[in-house]
Amino acid sequence: MSLETIRDQLPDYARDLKLNIGSVLTTQGAPGLSEKQIAAVALSTAIASRNPHFTLAIESWAKPQLDDAYVNGARAAAAIMGMNNIYYRFLHLVEDGEYATMPARLRMNIIGNPGIDKLDFELLSLAVSAVNGCGMCITSHEKKLREGGISREQIQSAVRIASVIHAVAAVLEYHSESAAAAASV
Amino acid sequence: MLGVGQKFPQFSLTGVVSNDLNNAFQPFDSNSANGKWQIVFFWPKDFTFVCPTEIAAFGKLNKEFADRDAVVYGVSTDSEFVHLAWRKDKEELRDLPFPMLSDIKRELTSALGVLDAEAGVAQRATYIVDPQGVIRFAYVTDLNVGRSPQEVLRVLDALQTDELCPCNWKKGEDTLKAA
Repeated sequence: MSLETIRDQLPDYARDLKLNIGSVLTTQGAPGLSEKQIAAVALSTAIASRNPHFTLAIESWAKPQLDDAYVNGARAAAAIMGMNNIYYRFLHLVEDGEYATMPARLRMNIIGNPGIDKLDFELLSLAVSAVNGCGMCITSHEKKLREGGISREQIQSAVRIASVIHAVAAVLEYHSESAAAAASV
Repeated sequence: MLGVGQKFPQFSLTGVVSNDLNNAFQPFDSNSANGKWQIVFFWPKDFTFVCPTEIAAFGKLNKEFADRDAVVYGVSTDSEFVHLAWRKDKEELRDLPFPMLSDIKRELTSALGVLDAEAGVAQRATYIVDPQGVIRFAYVTDLNVGRSPQEVLRVLDALQTDELCPCNWKKGEDTLKAA
């Protein structure tokens, strides 16, 4: 599916999102990121945004830009951060520092060996963390990316994609439901 | 006896992998695991009573071990032909999903220090060896005590579970270096 088809599905009240998704998924609109990084960030944050129809559309748009390892890496980042964002958000929200001293005892081995460039995997993890809303994960992945030489502009580009993908996923889910309901009346 | 932190000895043994004499035997050595974890367990003698139950119990968990990037090897000092005969004889062993290795020269058993001085056969030893070939868990009982494969799986899980995510970072600390 083309990006055009996705955009055409967006209703007029979401015109800002329609224009934004057209820009943030391009190299001009996402300064500092390669086409591959843009596609991988879009796919991982779409999965995290939980709209399967939209995610499949994003995936078919993203695939020509990604090799199998990156498709898998994007899925893996969404999968593992779906767990870590919840666990570590609990650690930073609960008002008892003792929990942070207890080992998590959760497997997260994919992070040690993600099958794609480690900094790219960090970037995907950060973008997914922005969608899932874990402050501690955002802080620590951002720090790791900056230490690895990734610029603020590149990080901002990834988060701009995450924001738009999340909003579009939500609107399309509601909009297709309400269109179906209207049709059945 | 070799223990935790030491290199698992080099080995090159014949293993039994099926019930058909034509393709039952395959060579296995230190590199056969190909970068995976190894679970190596020993029993004293084929055709004895405690053994098939616990070997079959390791077999039942084989998929769990495989999901954790681990290969399982069962070893005794019997020959590969005795292994094959026992495998064909015992219903629980017929579909065993991992190789039964023959340490007939007792080299691996001796190098590990688990050759029972009196009985002249392997003690009931279990090892977990990491992808670098280092022993991370060692467990030996007397000849007649059975063991729990479930416990080996629990230990493997614990050994493999490390908080690699930078999310674990706390203010004021250096970030952890993901291996």
